[in-house]
Amino acid sequence: MAQTQLVILFTSAALIIIGLYSAIFIDNIIKKIIGISFIEEGANLFIVAIGYKPGGVVPILMPGMDTSWFAANAAYPLPFGLVLTSIVIGASTLAVMLALVMVLYRRYGTLSTKVMLADTSKQEEYNE
Amino acid sequence: MNELIPLMVIVPLMAGLLISAFSKFNKATKIFAFVVAICLPIIPLASNYGLHFFGGYEPIVDNVTSVMFHPAITYSFTFLQQIFIAMIGILTFLVVFIYLTKYKEISGPYLFLLFLGTAAVTAMLLTDDIFHMFVFFEILALAQVGIVAASSIDYSYEMALKYMILGSIGSPIMLLGIGFLLAMTGSVNVTDIAVAVHNGLVDITSPVFLLSLGLIFFGWLYASGLPPFHTIKSGIYSKAEPHGAALLQSFTVISMISIVLIMFRIYSTLPIFEVLIVFFSILAMILGVSLALTQTDFRRMIGFLAVGELGFIGLGIGLGTQYAITAGLFQALNEIIITALLFIGFGAIVNATNEVDTRKLGGLLAYHPKVSIMLLIGGLAMAGVPPLSGFQSKLMLVQASLSCGYPEISILAIMVSIATFVVFVKTYYSMFLKPKPTELKVENMEVPRAMIFAMGVLLIIIVVLGIFPDVVTAGISNFVGGIL
Repeated sequence: MAQTQLVILFTSAALIIIGLYSAIFIDNIIKKIIGISFIEEGANLFIVAIGYKPGGVVPILMPGMDTSWFAANAAYPLPFGLVLTSIVIGASTLAVMLALVMVLYRRYGTLSTKVMLADTSKQEEYNE
Repeated sequence: MNELIPLMVIVPLMAGLLISAFSKFNKATKIFAFVVAICLPIIPLASNYGLHFFGGYEPIVDNVTSVMFHPAITYSFTFLQQIFIAMIGILTFLVVFIYLTKYKEISGPYLFLLFLGTAAVTAMLLTDDIFHMFVFFEILALAQVGIVAASSIDYSYEMALKYMILGSIGSPIMLLGIGFLLAMTGSVNVTDIAVAVHNGLVDITSPVFLLSLGLIFFGWLYASGLPPFHTIKSGIYSKAEPHGAALLQSFTVISMISIVLIMFRIYSTLPIFEVLIVFFSILAMILGVSLALTQTDFRRMIGFLAVGELGFIGLGIGLGTQYAITAGLFQALNEIIITALLFIGFGAIVNATNEVDTRKLGGLLAYHPKVSIMLLIGGLAMAGVPPLSGFQSKLMLVQASLSCGYPEISILAIMVSIATFVVFVKTYYSMFLKPKPTELKVENMEVPRAMIFAMGVLLIIIVVLGIFPDVVTAGISNFVGGIL
């Protein structure tokens, strides 16, 4: 395994662990969402690392290139295509989460998850 | 007509976008939404079985090794897909019909979310590509969150955000599992991966392969609402409009079977796989029915009962024989119909009383006899009372567990069915049979006709499948024989 690939894999693992810690243990909802983004980006980075090829070329067949040389040297394009899609989905979920946080911040005036997302059934009983 | 296969996804997706964009033309949008909703169950019934290769890229066969490689996304359409997509189409039609008749001014984005969810689960059922399935799994989560947030019920935003946060942790973890599979096999096509695994090209005892199972399994637990996600799943049902909840639970069932069938094809050689599925299914059965027993909000009660029923589906698939998987898939079909009937029926009661607490309800049999009788039959079907469809699938599951050599599981399944019956009878008594509390005001004497119509259609399907289960079980059994 190439050293670059190893560095990328470790970075990816670090991002996921930091993200999980933040998403589970930090109370501030914005920091929690940043943690969730870390997990997503860690997973994306991992998939990018799979497609990495030491000394490889961009997997676009240009006019004049020898096809057998290209097949031997081009990086595997599938992971990059997958990551591109994954980034778009991640951005969409991030946008929806932030929109919900905006509404709830206006309602509660705080970014604390303990206040904002307390057990809804208890909230109902309390209001009654 | 194999050309119709991609249309099953494209039609609801495009229709949703158009409805959302042109929702200011209220009447025209209503007619358009109604027509599209009618088309949804017709397209799968009119389509031929077969494969569809996107872009026309057919599989490439290596002349030396005879190994097949799928370069493009492939949709596979068999009897199983046909029956489930047609059923989800009928349900979407009924839900859209209820929504269109309930409100004078419709919300384009809300209709878009209903159609988007339908398109997403249809794609998840059809696809033979695990990453494609993941993409629509994410889209489905967005649609589900939108449907919950769009309801006018208190704390729906809070519940939507909670679900979104959990989903945003579960989805990348599942993606990571897919990444491990890609690293080992170089493909995201399920057939290619399964061939590589079954031909010994992948070491199934390697930690990486086991880790990929663990990660994808975690995503499946989230998608299915099995423990530890059972509370949040029943929570989102209770915070959605009743007709929306009817559709949401069907989305859950479809995503559950789509993912588990893919996992089954890849990981069935691992003994731990079936043990894991049976363990979490039994946990869901016990927790679902126990928590349902303690609920006073009847929407939440049905939510927990639905989780318990998911356990039956998982149990059938986890047992792993042709008969057991057929029983599990038949149970999935029944659950979609029965739970939808219960959500719509109890939604009619909310509509009439503006009350969801069973302690504050009573005497509604005199006010709403049609709804009460249809709900009673639906509840009996869920509990597995003959000759309704729920009985047939649960009987098959009990027989399957006995024939697999697990009599204790069959006893447990019968006990959970009895407990489901008790929960339902208790709730039914509180709402319909006990004397009406003096402070309860029955505001709307008329239940919307669309709701009665929807319940009637679902009830007919329940009775027909109960009397003639072979109509679907024979086809499902053939499908299962093909993947084993």
